[in-house]
Amino acid sequence: MTEPLVTFRNVKKHFGDFVAVREMDLDIHTGEFLAIMGSSGCGKTTTLRMLAGLEAPTSGEIRIGGDLMNDVKPHERDTPLVWQSLALFPFLSARENVEFGLKMRGVDKDERKRRALEWLDRMEIGEFADRNITTLSGGQKQRVALARSLVMEPQMLLLDEPLSALDANLVIRMQAVLTRLQKELGITFVYVTHSQSEAFAMADRVVIMSQGEIAQVGSPKDIYRSPANRFVAEFVGRNNILGGTVISQSSETVSVSTTSGDFTAVAPADQRTTGSDLTFSVSADLVSVSIDQPDALNKVQCNVISEEFIGSVVTLFLESADGHEFKVQMQERDLIELDLRSGSQIWLSWLPENAHVLDGD
Amino acid sequence: MKRKFDLYAMTWRLPIIFWQALFFVGPLLFMIAISFFVVKNYRMTEAFEFVNWQKMLTRNYFWDSYGYTIFIAGISTIVAMVLAFPASFALAFRASDNLRRWAIFLLIIPFFTSYLVRTFSWYVILAESGVVNAMLGYVGLGPFKMLNTHFGTVVGYLTLTLPLVVILQTVTMANVDKTLIEAARNLGCKPLATIWRVVLPLSKTGLIVAALFCFILSFGDFVAPFYLGGSQEPTLPILILDTTKSGQQWPRAAVVAIMMMATLFTIAFAAIALAYRKGGAR
Repeated sequence: MTEPLVTFRNVKKHFGDFVAVREMDLDIHTGEFLAIMGSSGCGKTTTLRMLAGLEAPTSGEIRIGGDLMNDVKPHERDTPLVWQSLALFPFLSARENVEFGLKMRGVDKDERKRRALEWLDRMEIGEFADRNITTLSGGQKQRVALARSLVMEPQMLLLDEPLSALDANLVIRMQAVLTRLQKELGITFVYVTHSQSEAFAMADRVVIMSQGEIAQVGSPKDIYRSPANRFVAEFVGRNNILGGTVISQSSETVSVSTTSGDFTAVAPADQRTTGSDLTFSVSADLVSVSIDQPDALNKVQCNVISEEFIGSVVTLFLESADGHEFKVQMQERDLIELDLRSGSQIWLSWLPENAHVLDGD
Repeated sequence: MKRKFDLYAMTWRLPIIFWQALFFVGPLLFMIAISFFVVKNYRMTEAFEFVNWQKMLTRNYFWDSYGYTIFIAGISTIVAMVLAFPASFALAFRASDNLRRWAIFLLIIPFFTSYLVRTFSWYVILAESGVVNAMLGYVGLGPFKMLNTHFGTVVGYLTLTLPLVVILQTVTMANVDKTLIEAARNLGCKPLATIWRVVLPLSKTGLIVAALFCFILSFGDFVAPFYLGGSQEPTLPILILDTTKSGQQWPRAAVVAIMMMATLFTIAFAAIALAYRKGGAR
């Protein structure tokens, strides 16, 4: 394994009494698309700002390419950032915006212009080069902002929720632009977002942060299928989370008694202790539904509360007799066959191997 | 689209239109009329003659005074803008919101006291045996003549304009999006260079308006050049005073006043055109 491009070691960041980041350890590798995800105030933007040198860590070490960066000023770094607000200079044209960083580096006028136009063309907005920034559309501004950062030919690009101001269909298009660019350039992207769909759609690895700490690092699939703890399982959403006491164990599985009934789950050896507490999650798309009681190890009868329709996929929200909420994700055409209405009683079931045991606490 | 006549809105607009007509447009027209009157036996009589315009605009002392007033008000504006900038910059970017609010409040306080009183207090400070010369005397310098000089005039103008310039500059720069400064730093711009590259272009409009206000106030001020400048080189307001006092020449004073207004209109329009000019194609 090669040296990581960026290392965070024991990094803390306090703003007065407020702890933005506590004890962060993280490696970022050359050429990867890393998404840092979390709700607002979780420390994800502070982490990104520390990478850009806009905030200095209170303690700990941040290294880029092996060099200690704690006290390196923002203008001495090679870490261009694409801002949430885009932060384009309104008094400059699109081309002058893209040239700004090159000008600061002392690149001569003709060379600056050539490289700026090249990038604007590459972003398919060459025709707007001499337009005033304020006359461009949201998507065009987005492309100018990307060109302004990428023209610097950085080894790493930082992105702070750059798509949050765009329309839904434009977001999908820009996601494709970003992933294609990242693969073509082979540089590292560090992408901060609160949007799970953006993170999962683009990133090679996702860091989930909560209250200044890393809750889990892994591929989108890891995080979706094997959330490390209750926080991640809840944050990722569409997970059914059940907790209870282990009442019996076998060579691979445990039986757990919960308020909604007794369930069997495949569990790692260290979690198979009778009498201990255990929490597990089941992805909403791994739950089957039936009108009649199924012949399954894990089943629970629920009332249909509501349904949420997103394209061809539907999420059913249900409630068991003890008031626990369940979610089931299924194809819309399968749902029509069941012919449900609010208040209908149906059975949910899932396989023991689809119950994923979460870490304690 | 044709605009509908709105009686309700019109009713509310009427008082201000009436006020402006009565106390601004009316007197202005009257002043223009006066400039064509003649003075006979120390009494102003109605007439329509160009003699006042001819007399004033062909005299060297008028043009000397005109040039000097623009020069000294211009110098004072530059000094005020430069002196105010570091303070305004610190208040806009370094101070907390609370401190900035307090500072603006404190900057308004000078306007509570009479400008004339504030001007006279400079006598104590600037006089040949005043505070400044006494202190300079301790280190073996001076005494310097500061009253009745150009320096005195500029100090007087600054007494009037500096607090206002700091307030206008601060409010303008406090509205600068700080993300843009960080963006410039992120793209390799050194801290001090961000002032030139980002802060000034973004606050251009407000800064030009601040300078314009400063110039207008100085250009029309009579107190500072009279009491602190010693009126040896008369500015236009002093010229107006002298003209009215000597032989009741109100018509000639009106000519000076109209020339002053025309000058300020021209400068104001030019400044505003400059302030709102934008870069890049539309």
